[in-house]
Amino acid sequence: MTDRRRNLIILSLVGALLVASLAVIIPGSPLSKQTRQGLDLKGGVSLVYQAKPTRFSKVTSDSLNRTMDIMRQRVDNLGVAEPEIQRSGSDQIDVSLPDVKNADQAQQQVGTTAQLLFYDWEKSVLGPDGKSHPLDPAVTGGQGAGQPGNGTQTYYEAVTRASKFKPTNEPDDTTNGLVYGVDDKAKTVLCGPQETVADTRAACQTEGKKPTRFVTVPRGYIIVRAEADDGDKAAQASASDAYYILKDDPALLGTDIKNPEQNTDSGAGGTGQPNVTFDFTSNGRKKWAAVTRVIAQRGSDQLLPGVDAQAVANHFAIVLDNKLISVPYIDPRQNPDGIDGSNGSEISGGFTIKSAQRLANLIKTGALPIKLELISQSQVSATLGQQALHQGLIAGIVGFAIVALFLLAFYRILGVIAVLALFVYAIYFFALIKLIPITMTLPGIAGLILTIGVAADANIVIFERVKEEIRAGRSVPAGIAQGYKKGIAAIIDANVVTFMVAFILFVLATAGVKGFAFTLGIGTLTSLFTAVLATQAVLHTMQRSRWITHPAALGAGERKRRWTQDFMGASKWFFSISGLILLIGALAIGGKGINFGIDFESGTRAKVAFVQQTPSERQVGDALRSAGFNNPEVQKVKGDKELGANGLQISLSETGKKATTVQQVLTSKFGQTRAYQADSIGPTFGKTVASSAIKAIIASLLVISLYIALRFEWKFAVPVLIALMHDLLITAGVYSLTGREVTTSTVAALLTILGYSLYDTIIVFDRIRENIPRMPRAAFTQIVNRSMSEVLTRSLATSFCTLLPILALLFFGGDTLKDFAFALLIGVISGAYSSVFIASPVLAHWKEREEVYRRRRVRIAEESGGVVPAYATAGHAVTVDLKGPQRPSRRITSPEDPERGVSKREFDDLVADIAHETAPASVASKVREKDRAPEPKPKPAPEPDPNADAAPEDLVLKDKGDKKPKRPRNKRHGRPR
Amino acid sequence: MAMFAWIMMGIALWHFAIWIPDRFWGGIVGAFLGALFGAAIFGLLINGFTIPGQNDTHIFQAIEAAPGAIIGMVLVYFEGVRRGVPALDL
Repeated sequence: MTDRRRNLIILSLVGALLVASLAVIIPGSPLSKQTRQGLDLKGGVSLVYQAKPTRFSKVTSDSLNRTMDIMRQRVDNLGVAEPEIQRSGSDQIDVSLPDVKNADQAQQQVGTTAQLLFYDWEKSVLGPDGKSHPLDPAVTGGQGAGQPGNGTQTYYEAVTRASKFKPTNEPDDTTNGLVYGVDDKAKTVLCGPQETVADTRAACQTEGKKPTRFVTVPRGYIIVRAEADDGDKAAQASASDAYYILKDDPALLGTDIKNPEQNTDSGAGGTGQPNVTFDFTSNGRKKWAAVTRVIAQRGSDQLLPGVDAQAVANHFAIVLDNKLISVPYIDPRQNPDGIDGSNGSEISGGFTIKSAQRLANLIKTGALPIKLELISQSQVSATLGQQALHQGLIAGIVGFAIVALFLLAFYRILGVIAVLALFVYAIYFFALIKLIPITMTLPGIAGLILTIGVAADANIVIFERVKEEIRAGRSVPAGIAQGYKKGIAAIIDANVVTFMVAFILFVLATAGVKGFAFTLGIGTLTSLFTAVLATQAVLHTMQRSRWITHPAALGAGERKRRWTQDFMGASKWFFSISGLILLIGALAIGGKGINFGIDFESGTRAKVAFVQQTPSERQVGDALRSAGFNNPEVQKVKGDKELGANGLQISLSETGKKATTVQQVLTSKFGQTRAYQADSIGPTFGKTVASSAIKAIIASLLVISLYIALRFEWKFAVPVLIALMHDLLITAGVYSLTGREVTTSTVAALLTILGYSLYDTIIVFDRIRENIPRMPRAAFTQIVNRSMSEVLTRSLATSFCTLLPILALLFFGGDTLKDFAFALLIGVISGAYSSVFIASPVLAHWKEREEVYRRRRVRIAEESGGVVPAYATAGHAVTVDLKGPQRPSRRITSPEDPERGVSKREFDDLVADIAHETAPASVASKVREKDRAPEPKPKPAPEPDPNADAAPEDLVLKDKGDKKPKRPRNKRHGRPR
Repeated sequence: MAMFAWIMMGIALWHFAIWIPDRFWGGIVGAFLGALFGAAIFGLLINGFTIPGQNDTHIFQAIEAAPGAIIGMVLVYFEGVRRGVPALDL
């Protein structure tokens, strides 16, 4: 296939994909798709649950899947559009409910275990002695069975009494024993019940409670709260500390009933109140008939003539998640043989329509097979979501615009092509977001904006190489061909590393960060296509065009300035600067620590602004305290675009269910909220985030090391690791010094730094790798110096270009985006610095110890008066044919270049650089006093043997350039000079 | 958190090892490992093999790691001398 044909095919593909992408993007087109927005942009409630085993079920993949199925049905009953319920890690479930405004209700509906149990009341309810007394109203409650009052005891009394009972071991026991956290001084139960002490301790911590001890109610007994009408606040209050101890011997389970429906008690003598009707399964019907017969029989035994049947009737208790729902009696006179279950039954007792519907739905979907603990909850109002999206879009547009301006200013015509490629990239990416579909979140927007920088970086690397080739004397078409050919390896290496880190982040990180990782990964791959293949095809097609025939049009005029510094010599000072920064950072971390946000420390953070009222911090604090929150911290938020002038930020130690009530408390006191956002993170979730971050860092470091070792050599991997640690530690030090809060976004940004800071390192190392065979007699420090002088501009340009969109995020993004941007800013600056001044010197130090370089160093010192010049000098001159062993051409991105031989000017430059002291006198002849040998006269340079110290694979063909006539191999090279 | 501070201190001090003619066993990377492990082990020793958490970490805990880092690098240096590693001064 000819190059022309190949380029046409690529351009046609680019065009076709562009048209298809536009068809997906443009609203109203037949292929148009909606953008799926995450909760942080759209508003809604996000709940993260951790699964806990029960007596009947362990946390397995199967039980988690069954749980998620049940949750989906419950969410469907809520009428939520586009809910997302997905597994996270081995034991967590993420539930995203867009447009849901009441977090408390959503939590109750979705995550409730809904374990429904039916008990023979008089037989099951226990007295203080641990025995049942069916005839004693002081134990059973008599006619008021199940109600607060007669027979009830306080929660503390019930728990501590039951803890002294002997455990049973019957097959129908529903628990293995439950643990409560109690305060003996205040005689209250603070938290629980949970299956284990550890779980109870965690639950107490979640709710901000400090129990004096943990008490276990043994297997065979359960503590249930007295019955209270849903709509009756007074009844709810009186039932709040009225409990019964039941023998855990259920007569029926929730699985024994079917077809539950919300109904009204409208039959003869009906109350007209909402109730829940249901049928029995065949097995349930038998159980029901048997147990009601026993209950009726007990009542009949006491039914003497003239005695009111209701007064002696025994009861049946319906318990849902340790709460008495209803305790109906069975009239021994009307049903002396119990109740046949063929017509089903009903649960009535103080329901509102909503609560009856909720119970019916819960019974319908069934009990969850495992227990779920709410470990994280966040809620964003739609208004705040839209504002955050607006800010993200502005940051993206500004980031794109300044990157485009930079490319145009720096690369002129090449810049125009790069900007076009960026446009194409942006369109492709947006279409992919809609097609896959990727749920766009704020972290995802940050990833997208960052990839604009990454895409531009690929162009910069290639364009700098093209400019270099043209400056070296190649014609424009040859320079373009060589630029792409030589630049592609570094770009692929850098992008592969970024992609691998994004992948690790996606696999290991928590839900919020996954969006960032996904967009970063997809963006990196897409940018390879647009920034490399597409621009190459365009440039090759235009290579004979008058637009780019003059080097100046490509920004490749005469080089105004060349880096000639002794980077290796100066590295001691740069090392010292880094050491000093890290020293300050270490002291700051020791002294101030790191300000971990609630993502790690657990707690609730809410931001709120009200429609009408503007309550003071004190008023809000008092309202929350009176609602039972401990030490709420309330402060005014200034300068928050999302909340406006009267925004408040509330920090609470409580999490979980309690935290879901914050908005209700505030709304009932201060009216409707204009904007509301809350994040509530339990301690378990914080630990998960921290451990997943550590795993991701370790995995990233391992993968990066392996990749560098494979692509370069293993000695190149160690400096890379040291430079990465340097970047991470400096970023941590800056966070400690500034006191800025570390969030999950910060962690995601830190992990991205791991991948991204390698970009510069790979560019430098790639050039070192390229120069090693070109400089077979030079010291390693000279090779590194030369490589750095060649790529420093490129390195600075890529870092600067990446910083531009990051700065846009920092100035125009909302809080979340700013979090990302700050960490990325520090990381990118530190990464660029460490690539040049840490990784390369470490590599030079280490490689110089190798025998071959040690011998070179000794020889160069002997030839140069006891000093090793910063750059290669005449004394160790040798010219090398740059052609290495020819591999069979495996063209991926570059067409065969007929002119890829060394141009005359390039050849002259090489000779000049390597053999004739191209380094400035000030550098080349600069001799550090302690390096200067005492010998008065330098020895005349001996005839060098080019093969003396080079490895056989280093050299394929050497010639002594100064003895051969120099002439260009191809007169088509370069312009007349 | 203390471990983080110790490691940071160790790596900070390692940066200054570049001023010493390199006779470290394993070169500059050997010095790096010496500083890193020296700081961590010394920190652990001083704190009775416990790692103070975020709330128990103070500025002296970062400083505590300094002797460990220096001892680590000195040990690596003298092992290099013992093995006859020639000096390298870039």
